[in-house]
Amino acid sequence: MWAYILRRLAYNVPVYLSILLLVMLALRVRDPVFGRLPKNATTADIAQKRVELGIDRPFHQQFGSQLKQVATATFDEISWDYPGQTVGEVMSRCIGPSLSITLPSLVLTTLFSITVALISAWFRGRALDKGLVFVAVLGMSVSFLVYIIFGQYYGAYKLNEWLGYDVFAIYYNPEVSNAGWGEFFTSVWPRYYLLPVLISVVVAMGYDTRFYRAVMVEESARDYIVTATAKGASQSRIMFIHMLKNAMIPIITRVVITIPFLITGSFLLESYFGIPGMGNQLIVAVESGDFPIVQSFTAVFAAVYIASNLLTDVLYALVDPRVRLS
Amino acid sequence: MMSPRLSYGLFFLLIVSFAGCGDDAGTQTGDSNTATVATETAGNAESTGTVSDSSAAEAGGPSTSERETASPDVDPVVFSKSTKETDAEFRDAYKKRLASGKLKLAKIPMRSDGPKSMDPVRGSTVYENQCASQLVETLLQYKYLKRPFEAEPLLLAEMPKSEDGITWHFKLKDGVFFHDDACFPGGKGRQLKSEDVFYSWKRIADTKGANSKVWWLIKDTIKGFDEFKATQEAAEKFDYDAPVEGMQVVSDKEFTVTLVAPMQSFLWKLCMFQTAIVAREAVEMYGERFGLRPIGTGPFVLKEGDWQQGQGIKFTRNVNYHECYFPDEHMKSDEADDLHTAAGKRVPQVDEVQVIFYKTDQPMWLQFKAGDLHYAQVPAENFKEAFSKRTKKLNRDMQKEGMKGFPVDMLDFIFRGFNMEDSVIGGYTEKNRLVRQAICAALDWDEQNEAFYNGINTVYDGVIPPGLEGYPAQGKSDKSYRGPDIERARQLLAKAGYPNGEGLPTIDYYTGRQQNGQEQSEMLSKQLKRIGINVQVHLLDFSQLIQKVDEKSAQFFSFAWSSDYPDGENNLALFYGPNEAPGANHFNYKNAEYDRLYEKVVAMPQSPERVAIYEQMQAMLFEDCPYAGSMARTRFYVVTPRMTNFKPTETFETWYKYIDLTD
Repeated sequence: MWAYILRRLAYNVPVYLSILLLVMLALRVRDPVFGRLPKNATTADIAQKRVELGIDRPFHQQFGSQLKQVATATFDEISWDYPGQTVGEVMSRCIGPSLSITLPSLVLTTLFSITVALISAWFRGRALDKGLVFVAVLGMSVSFLVYIIFGQYYGAYKLNEWLGYDVFAIYYNPEVSNAGWGEFFTSVWPRYYLLPVLISVVVAMGYDTRFYRAVMVEESARDYIVTATAKGASQSRIMFIHMLKNAMIPIITRVVITIPFLITGSFLLESYFGIPGMGNQLIVAVESGDFPIVQSFTAVFAAVYIASNLLTDVLYALVDPRVRLS
Repeated sequence: MMSPRLSYGLFFLLIVSFAGCGDDAGTQTGDSNTATVATETAGNAESTGTVSDSSAAEAGGPSTSERETASPDVDPVVFSKSTKETDAEFRDAYKKRLASGKLKLAKIPMRSDGPKSMDPVRGSTVYENQCASQLVETLLQYKYLKRPFEAEPLLLAEMPKSEDGITWHFKLKDGVFFHDDACFPGGKGRQLKSEDVFYSWKRIADTKGANSKVWWLIKDTIKGFDEFKATQEAAEKFDYDAPVEGMQVVSDKEFTVTLVAPMQSFLWKLCMFQTAIVAREAVEMYGERFGLRPIGTGPFVLKEGDWQQGQGIKFTRNVNYHECYFPDEHMKSDEADDLHTAAGKRVPQVDEVQVIFYKTDQPMWLQFKAGDLHYAQVPAENFKEAFSKRTKKLNRDMQKEGMKGFPVDMLDFIFRGFNMEDSVIGGYTEKNRLVRQAICAALDWDEQNEAFYNGINTVYDGVIPPGLEGYPAQGKSDKSYRGPDIERARQLLAKAGYPNGEGLPTIDYYTGRQQNGQEQSEMLSKQLKRIGINVQVHLLDFSQLIQKVDEKSAQFFSFAWSSDYPDGENNLALFYGPNEAPGANHFNYKNAEYDRLYEKVVAMPQSPERVAIYEQMQAMLFEDCPYAGSMARTRFYVVTPRMTNFKPTETFETWYKYIDLTD
């Protein structure tokens, strides 16, 4: 297996380098200097700004610098938007808040979706199944933004008004960023993160339930299910032991492929709830053309994405004896 | 002789694509927020050293009907008879709050992701201005309640004096100390001295080491300063101790500054946060990170960890703040808001100010309604929830809750610009001038204002925004070609040789992609189509738009300018020939007579003669039409009854120290 992993990693080196190269080239299609000039700029100011940003150097040198940062995982280039702060500092302060939303969302969404999908698949074609599918499709048809706007209005503002005390915060309080771990889990997370997590779960459940139901329906028609039923296995045993185990490959694929997106966070959720995460930071950097941030974020994301793909293959072998890594 | 005097304007580009010109250039004092103006790069916090007089209309608005109808003619300046709060009273009250744990914490919103750096010489946005102004201070500041705007000493003992307008004598105020910080021996902030002023200004010239972005502000201003910059930049190391001919230290508390030539705007610049005084020790100790925690003499200090970038920032009272009081001088209309009752109180009044950054409006508005914020700028989509669209007054429900509403006019010049070097619509031939005049006459700014801004902005003639000298009466000038006057537009176009637009090539229009840029561009296209002019709209990112204009390749474009200081000269500089792109003369307008007059007014003190020249210069612009416009935004504030002593303004940012909270 290790040989397989090493070989796959080697195959991915050119892919990874190409990603870094393409991102750097794509960013340079537009000249970032003009958005960063002082008022009444002169042509000398333009030239000086180019030097200051380091984009006067030949492209291969810029690419080399970026490669060095990635290879050494230092990310010590100074952000163009945040003078005095390295890209590493910016990333490290944003990753935690993003994971505080995306990780619980992934876990909860997966658990709920699989459970609902199993129920739906078991009662395939009956009223319960049709009702669940209808709700799932309805959920998928509504924009993410609508969930956020209504979720914030009713879930935080109106709920707090009705109850007379604050259950969920409407918006993040910057001061809680300094909270310790204990305080974070007992009071900060439930108050500031839980509502965005719930919104995220509701949004994702429609999609995931539909997908998992299709997987389960396919599995429920297999011969081994008929055999198990004929042998008198209970419904719950068939569903949660036999069927679920055999449906693990598509489930793992879907879950693991989501892992890279955990670090990118959600721009919309983060900006509406004031969560200081990666999604928001990345969008701001893209809009303002903060090359160091965008390049390093995408380098990390691409690395995690490649690692996730590899992890998927390894997990296949672990859950399905028919899969051999060679 | 006179080198490009740039437009110091807070130039925020705009982006908004407003189209159209209104048929009646009414002076509406609108409400609304500026949601549509996309990118502000502005930071304005300046004022005038000499008295700004006259004809300016009141810009900061009141909440009550008296306030809303007030004008300079009926809103005289008055003085309260106040007793100065003693140092002992001031400190005792604070100690009591500290002991009881009931500190006054003001919570205020900022509709952006906040400042990026608070180093004054790197500042460019209003957000950087607002935050930095609490920590570092300038020699002069705006009078808090006085309208039209006027300057007063802040770090000075008295207003600077000059007999010839060239050599200015300054005297620093006693008892001004820098914030306590580890950069000082024993961690105790030392007293401010003359050398600090020159050190801070020399940082403006250091575009490499200090990464100054504001050299344009002081360029061609102080004798020998440009030469100093050239020498230091050529040298291996920037020597802050090297002398500048026009900067002379007389003593620790006194110094003189000699200008290149008399310049009315010099004192205004001393109110701009970019010229704020910082501690050399802190700059040398913190280097690149100085912008994260600047050390100055401001009314508030920034504690370690109290700036969560992109989220918020908390300022804490500077217990060593120099003696400074709530002003006695106020406008008569301020009495409706009890602003006169605080006269004589020591400032800062509040103990902490927490600023929360919002990237979207909904959470800010909900938090305001939930009582978590002490005031809010009213977002466009919530305008009707708070104000009557017709009367622009606060709704009854809000009034019942004790809220106060304040319309605040902004010093805006929102326009469409023509590239005067373009072969079709640029140039000074009769034919091309007529085409520009026809476009001006066809655009309907009022329609734009109604459709996208609830009709709350001010549509006006000329380049000088409402509230400043040179602004035409009622915002209208009979020399202007602003429409909508379709018949006149058609005639002008026909006279140019393009009857019903026939033969006129499609015009390329460049505007920002943000907000509803596309929708506004559609309206502009529709308006010009009425006279047969076809427009090809190009929606661009901000940096692309600037690039296009700076490279003189945008034929027709949407931009805006927010004044750096309340003097029409700042806006007239936008058409000064030597400021051509990539300078602030984005139009590349060149008119020798205009330039001559501009150079003349720069040196003139405020006077009726100066205003007459403003009008003469604007008349040239009306005729040549290098722009089509104009519009200025108005922002509407709603303030909770808990927050007192607050007179919202968009022109300066030193007001945190004056606000107070009731129990």
